[in-house]
Amino acid sequence: MTTTSFVEEFIEVGGAKIHLLKGGDGPPLLFLHSIEGNLGWLPWMEEVSKSATVYAPTHPGFGRSERPEFLESVSDMARFYLWMTQELKLDAVTLVGHFLGGWIAAEMATMSPGSLGGLVLVDAAGVRPDTCEIADIFLLGEEETTRLSFHDAPSVPEYSDLFERELSTEERELKVRGREMTTRLCWKPYMYDRSLEWLLQRVDIPTLVVWGAEDRIIPPSAGNRIHEAIAGSNLEVVPGCGHLPHVEKPGEFSGMVLRHLASD
Amino acid sequence: MFLMRFTERAYFHYTEEDVRNSYRSAVRLTFPNSHFDPETAADMYNYYLDEYEYCEEMGFDGLMLNEHHNTPTCMGAAMNLEAAILARATKNAKIVLLGNPLPISDNPVRMAEELAEIDLISRGRLVSGFVRGTGVESWATNTNPVHNRERFQEAHDLIIKTWTTPGPFRWEGRHFEYRVVNPFVRPLQDPHPPVWVPGSASPETMIWAAQHHYPYVFLEADPEVVGDAKAIYAEAANEVGYEPGPQNFGYLFRVHVQDTDEKAYEVGKGFLSGNAGVGRVPMPPEYMNPPGYTSIEGRRRSSQINLRPDRLVGGVDSAGYDRVVGMNRIVVGNPDTVIRKLREVLSVIRPGILAVWTNDGSISHEDSMRCLELMDSDVLPALREIGEELELPGPFEVAP
Repeated sequence: MTTTSFVEEFIEVGGAKIHLLKGGDGPPLLFLHSIEGNLGWLPWMEEVSKSATVYAPTHPGFGRSERPEFLESVSDMARFYLWMTQELKLDAVTLVGHFLGGWIAAEMATMSPGSLGGLVLVDAAGVRPDTCEIADIFLLGEEETTRLSFHDAPSVPEYSDLFERELSTEERELKVRGREMTTRLCWKPYMYDRSLEWLLQRVDIPTLVVWGAEDRIIPPSAGNRIHEAIAGSNLEVVPGCGHLPHVEKPGEFSGMVLRHLASD
Repeated sequence: MFLMRFTERAYFHYTEEDVRNSYRSAVRLTFPNSHFDPETAADMYNYYLDEYEYCEEMGFDGLMLNEHHNTPTCMGAAMNLEAAILARATKNAKIVLLGNPLPISDNPVRMAEELAEIDLISRGRLVSGFVRGTGVESWATNTNPVHNRERFQEAHDLIIKTWTTPGPFRWEGRHFEYRVVNPFVRPLQDPHPPVWVPGSASPETMIWAAQHHYPYVFLEADPEVVGDAKAIYAEAANEVGYEPGPQNFGYLFRVHVQDTDEKAYEVGKGFLSGNAGVGRVPMPPEYMNPPGYTSIEGRRRSSQINLRPDRLVGGVDSAGYDRVVGMNRIVVGNPDTVIRKLREVLSVIRPGILAVWTNDGSISHEDSMRCLELMDSDVLPALREIGEELELPGPFEVAP
């Protein structure tokens, strides 16, 4: 799965050391991961990095990235990542965010739409769906959450490497750190912000909303709400796909991202 | 020695199958409250209070209550209400709350007021214990587990200040803010009701308790663990300039007396069968330990401290009745047997506070009352002598 087409480094943002994967060439694309932490250089990144420079940081408080002490909420996180785009001089950057990362990206877009080039929200948290609730990943536990996240796990070549491999003590601890940070950010209200849906109405950058049709963590109805809130956004529902389209359907996903980049 | 009586006031009119067939086979948090029958529970609350009133007549020094949420294993979901009733209905015994789970309180000033009222109505008989609460308490009240310890400490500091500093004052904390802290009602005891801390030997909490001169009450801990843990407490106490004694330590465990060893052995099984699920139908680990409840830093610090693991894997509820009884982790028997075994335990642990958890689970009210009668006639007098003989002063005899 991994290739040598990316570099791994630590950068400093707001006094915190942040773990970052970076690869490719072209206009900047910043990927914001979700609750499972930084899964590494994934096949979709390899594909997209042929046309864009992909930045895939590990969130503050996750894995080996430090957490600045003040950082307690998703909006703090959004401001932190706006600092990062300044530090890295990412002009007109396209944000791609999944679930928690999608929520962060959406917040960034409401705060500073003028500094961004585009937005791709993938099975994103942040808006409460109008049919059923967002699955409680804390209550379900890690294993069950992973199980529910895929529509057809056996079809994903990376699945066992990403989710079933025996972890070293250090890897395990880094993972627990990410869950702890997720709890800090998302416990209450759980995975949404009441005002976000209204704030999104002023977002005027090219926006693509991607959703797995079979997402059992956050239902496609949440995607509809986001799509309706952002005028001119496109909605792509991926058939036969669960909560992680970028992992479960990497080919389709990277095609959508590339088309979105080309349409900017 | 300070002798107190405890029961979790379990609701046990459900079956193990009910638990097994419920969401994630858990007896706490998500076990449906459709299994709760209010008519039955109304009787139970009343006989549990009757038992406590009877314990005072028998001469127990303290009536110990606890609090849990979303669980049939403990009906004390609003412990301060039971305490207020006992404050009025009893005259001499201390009312020992072990304890109020502070992190889940969104209004510690209100907590300070409630406890002050209990202290006043009881004419100064309140012992106000404080706990972090299990993870289930965080779930049930939707309190972010990441903030558990911070909220515990801040709520504690605010309550103590509310009790001891003339108001009005302002509080600008990290989790609580108040413009005017000035509750008109203050506790009777001066400077404030004693604070005790119960727990399962978490080093961070023990060190904190030692620094505050608060007695630490071990909940059913392995005597070996108690030994290690007392050393940690003593080290922290030494650092702030005092030497702890028996008055700084308590021990709670299940003790059931009947007229014969055989009967006590049979009835004592109810400790484990009524609370179906605490041990035998385990709940998911996330319920007790949601992410962030124990910080990575806290875990790392704990692992550096020399605390041996409990020899009963899974604890008292899971290790099997015979093994638990064989290791004196639950004591059952006729009065002579119980006195002999309690002497063994007290000699090793040397607590100044002994909490006997006399009945729980499916042990009936009738069996409980017989147990209490035998405690009264035989066991308590013997325990007082043993306390003298082993030189185990309680915290009301020697200041902790």
